[in-house]
Amino acid sequence: MEYGLLLAGTLFALGLIGVLVRRDIVFILMSLEIMLNATGLAFVTAGARWAQADGQVMYFFILSMAAAEVAVGLALVLRLRRQFKTLDADAASRMHG
Amino acid sequence: MTTDDLIALSPLITIAAASVALMLAIAFYRDARVALVCALIGIALAFAMLPVAASRAPRQITPLLILDQYALFYLGLLFIASFVVALLADGYLDKLGGELEEFYLVLLLATVGGAALVMSAHFASFFLGLEILSVSLYVLIAYPRRSARGVEAGIKYLILAATSAAFLLFGMALIYAELGTMEFGRMASGMAGVDVRRELLLAGQAMIFVGVGFKLAVAPFHVWAPDVYEGAPAPVTAFIATVSKGAVFALLVRYFANLGDEVFQSFFPALAAIAIASMFVGNLLALAQTNVKRILAYSSIAHLGYLLVAFLAGGSLGATAVAFYLVAYFVTNLIAFGVVAVLSGRREADELEDYHGLFWRRPWLATIFLTALLSLGGIPLTAGFMGKFYILMAGVGSALWLLAIIMAVNTMISFYYYLRVAFMMFRDAPEGEAAPGGPPPSLSFMGAGALAVLTLLLVWIGVYPGPLVQTIRSMVAGLR
Repeated sequence: MEYGLLLAGTLFALGLIGVLVRRDIVFILMSLEIMLNATGLAFVTAGARWAQADGQVMYFFILSMAAAEVAVGLALVLRLRRQFKTLDADAASRMHG
Repeated sequence: MTTDDLIALSPLITIAAASVALMLAIAFYRDARVALVCALIGIALAFAMLPVAASRAPRQITPLLILDQYALFYLGLLFIASFVVALLADGYLDKLGGELEEFYLVLLLATVGGAALVMSAHFASFFLGLEILSVSLYVLIAYPRRSARGVEAGIKYLILAATSAAFLLFGMALIYAELGTMEFGRMASGMAGVDVRRELLLAGQAMIFVGVGFKLAVAPFHVWAPDVYEGAPAPVTAFIATVSKGAVFALLVRYFANLGDEVFQSFFPALAAIAIASMFVGNLLALAQTNVKRILAYSSIAHLGYLLVAFLAGGSLGATAVAFYLVAYFVTNLIAFGVVAVLSGRREADELEDYHGLFWRRPWLATIFLTALLSLGGIPLTAGFMGKFYILMAGVGSALWLLAIIMAVNTMISFYYYLRVAFMMFRDAPEGEAAPGGPPPSLSFMGAGALAVLTLLLVWIGVYPGPLVQTIRSMVAGLR
């Protein structure tokens, strides 16, 4: 179980680094997917430890929620492209203070 | 699942069914007014189901959901807030133009998410409720199609909320890996076990708190709040400030009440630090703002800090203070953002300059806004004052002297920026009637009624809080 959680933790950290350092909005969304899938892996690992289906059920929830999130996210990406003519997330920073 | 279970679930089922019905209605007949009326009827029906469901309370419905007095109280609060937001959105969206029907649909869905949150007693329902709420909010924030600020706010919220959701989930996974259960009620006994690895549990709880903290916009996790508040349409900002934060806070209180005193004590220093940081960050940064929505954003960060003080006081007095303050906070914020929504035309009327001489132009609206500002500041005879009074009482009762003193100091600081907005409204009107901001603000009949009723409620709670406190006491007594 430790190895599973360790792998999940590593993936999670990689995804987080991606979210923090990437500037392209599409890559940020991909990094978010990596983070969410890492949590899914952690749930499956945990479920395996207790021999319960709960972990896998949670994985399905995470999967469907990630899909919904990406659907909305890509719609926003299209709007960003139209408004700012770029996919650079830093361009969308008109509000400060 | 028995009939009793279904009856107990009826408010949730009603509002979910209403959103499906509205979706079908939009598919066949597009009309913003019809969509609004459908949404209002749906929320009203769900609210009417509360007494029916109450006859079966307290009741655990499957391991996922629980319906008790506590859940019923917050369900009622959420439904009322969504109802008001829908009314406010009506007049606001008319001025924007475009396709408006789906706004009400997504608003209903977000309400479903909030309702699931306050009823949840399991990680799965916690997560699902939070995500239904979040994903609906991404859409609501970026709803006006021509607004660049809306897109920016939507993307910022999406990235940060999704990251925090991932943190939350990973924390849940760690706790599940250690305890083998995801039910709140069974965690306390699991944690008492001898062969449990404390560090994993602690890491899990901390990650869950990161996720929750983002939603609440408390101090280290508050960076999104000002931008999102500014960029989102004013009614949506009202929704974020009230329903989204209120539902999450209600869940937080239930979660810690289930985990028991030991876990609560181990988190006490961290939570106290967050409360202090939120109060200072919110109030000090608000001083420098010139945008009313940003001022309200920072003020809401500070208000969540006050709420954490009440939460830390613990016990039934603390839970009473939390519930009372949340009611006051809901009413006040709905009024404040409602006034911003009413004043906004094609452009958001959120610069301080837009409020220059408002009292001489629109005396009633200015009076209503003034009442809300005084309540936010905590001037006597308003709900905000009674809320702060109860929090201080709970804090002093639990001997949290440092927190109580810091809260009092912060209340003093906050007067400055609330009164700055208030004074702006009483300045001499700029020459001519030409108000900055294009078309004259319009107010639908129902929106005006909602604002008036809320203002009366605000003063009524402030002057005569007895009945509300009685309701809250009986509700808190059943919390476990």
